[in-house]
Amino acid sequence: MTDSLVFSLLASTLRLSTPLILAALGGMYSEKSGVINMALEGIMLAGAFTAAAVTHFTGNPWIGLVAGIAAGIAVAGLHAFCCIACKADQVVVGTAINILMLGVPPLLSGAFFESTGSTPSLQQSQTLPNLPIIVALLAVPITYFVLFKTSFGLRIRAVGETPEAADTAGVSVSRIRYASVLISGGLAALGGVYLSIGQNSLYTRNMTAGRGYIALAALIFGNWMPTRVLVACLLFGFMDAVQIRLQGVGKIPTQFIQIVPYIFTMIVLAGFIGRSTPPRALGVAYEKGKR
Amino acid sequence: MKSFASVALVVLLFLSMSCASRIRKDEAGKIKVGIVFDIGGKDDKSFNAAAWEGVKRAARDLPIILRDAEPGEPNNLEPCMRAFAERDYDLIIGIGFAQGPILEQVARDYPKTKFAIVDSVVDLPNVASLVFKEHEGSFLVGMIAARTSKTGKVGFVGGMDIPLIRKFAKGYEEGAKYVNPNVEVKQNFVGITDSAWNNPGKGKELAKAQFEAGADVIFQAAGNSGLGVFDAAEEMKHFAIGVDSNQNWVKPGFILTSMVKRVDVSVYLIIKELVEGKFTGGIHSYGLENGGISYALDKYNEPLIPKPILAEVDAARDKIIKHDIKVTDAMAK
Repeated sequence: MTDSLVFSLLASTLRLSTPLILAALGGMYSEKSGVINMALEGIMLAGAFTAAAVTHFTGNPWIGLVAGIAAGIAVAGLHAFCCIACKADQVVVGTAINILMLGVPPLLSGAFFESTGSTPSLQQSQTLPNLPIIVALLAVPITYFVLFKTSFGLRIRAVGETPEAADTAGVSVSRIRYASVLISGGLAALGGVYLSIGQNSLYTRNMTAGRGYIALAALIFGNWMPTRVLVACLLFGFMDAVQIRLQGVGKIPTQFIQIVPYIFTMIVLAGFIGRSTPPRALGVAYEKGKR
Repeated sequence: MKSFASVALVVLLFLSMSCASRIRKDEAGKIKVGIVFDIGGKDDKSFNAAAWEGVKRAARDLPIILRDAEPGEPNNLEPCMRAFAERDYDLIIGIGFAQGPILEQVARDYPKTKFAIVDSVVDLPNVASLVFKEHEGSFLVGMIAARTSKTGKVGFVGGMDIPLIRKFAKGYEEGAKYVNPNVEVKQNFVGITDSAWNNPGKGKELAKAQFEAGADVIFQAAGNSGLGVFDAAEEMKHFAIGVDSNQNWVKPGFILTSMVKRVDVSVYLIIKELVEGKFTGGIHSYGLENGGISYALDKYNEPLIPKPILAEVDAARDKIIKHDIKVTDAMAK
């Protein structure tokens, strides 16, 4: 294998991992605070679609980037409202949002572009540079610092582990959870924005193709620890990049090669990371005064 | 509060899930045509887009009422098709191989209704099967690819790994080898499920990998995922070849040509036959000989292909029509 092939493999790994890293880190904020974020997929779709549509109308990917993140935060806000204020079942709400976000972009694209779920192609000058990749890599130490070295992070973890104790200490459980879910929305949306106007130049229906769920799996496999989650996402991206280059080598059927990343990631993570322990109050709505 | 939120979500859910058919009370007397698209949807700028173009033209030229449905996912195909049949539509058109078995079932249940299916063969008297000799067109663009390539390596990116797409790949490979026996043809597929038609990110990665491995022309037959192949070609300043519709306009200067499959003509003609009372079931075959398959040449790609290559390709086309060149049909049993 020559140097350029190694380089291309690594570059491909980074490109494929970026949406996963961003979404998984987003999920971490939410889940550390005790709110399961099944809606990552839907948030990514919202960010991806909004970014592509706004960039098409304004011609400026930076405005698209901001709009995409705003859309993701808005969807996360819906998730937070249902989970925190209405105390609805978090998995059900997240799933509902994912299905909703399969339907909303086609509806809007029908109104704006007379299409059913995709936006017009952007010129290459209208796409983002590789910034999201750098942001994704920087977000890992930043997330670690915020969650484990700041008082805000301590509060997030406190409301995720023992909300009663945090409440007694005068921390507003719902305010911290809202903040965490909204941050989660912003990060996951950036992953979606990268898909539509960074890596590609348009939005197509359901273009995340399950990346939100893979991010969620990486979060669990990575035991809610930033560095381990990074490793899980990079590993998956790497296996996907290898898989792409393995196709067509020899007579192995495509079907087999394409399941390699999933199997390999599962084996490695299950074997090396072992038992994962979720935040204790994960998935439980907090009710004041309840014992 | 809790129950309100659940109800609101459920309502939103149903709104977002309802399949896209807009069926109203129809005007009497006119012939009613319903079209059910493939998973890619009608704005894939490719296969479905061509079908949509054809039926829209028919709706302009002929006295018909046209309604369309985009199922979005495989499980919605049958309800969409039955919705048309139950409402006494005169002709129901299914787009794409995936609808073959479903259309066969529905066509058995409604023997008086006429059906047409693109890319699949359903052996019933009330079904017209519109099939294309994609391998022949792929052969021609394979020749153009191999003649244009400076590295002697060309690529193919397919969508879902199915026999129909293998048919494109095989024809392409034979065409490339016809002009340059030493050419290396790299073949990749985006995926093995129907989401492979809607994954431009993966399409782009596959194309980049092929370009980085030395290919400089890539033919894509991958629906929406193919748009990622175009992005890669633009980014790395190489060529891509479009499919199904004439896609030369999508990235001018980077799309060498398109393997055009006139799905639009085939659906237009079947509607016209129905309107004129001449509808017949059975296989309607489209190939080079009747213009159902061709390669695209327009203002966007004329500067890209030298005249001698065009002459060579046209000579090969005539030979294929006369069966002097035999292109392997990877789907033939």
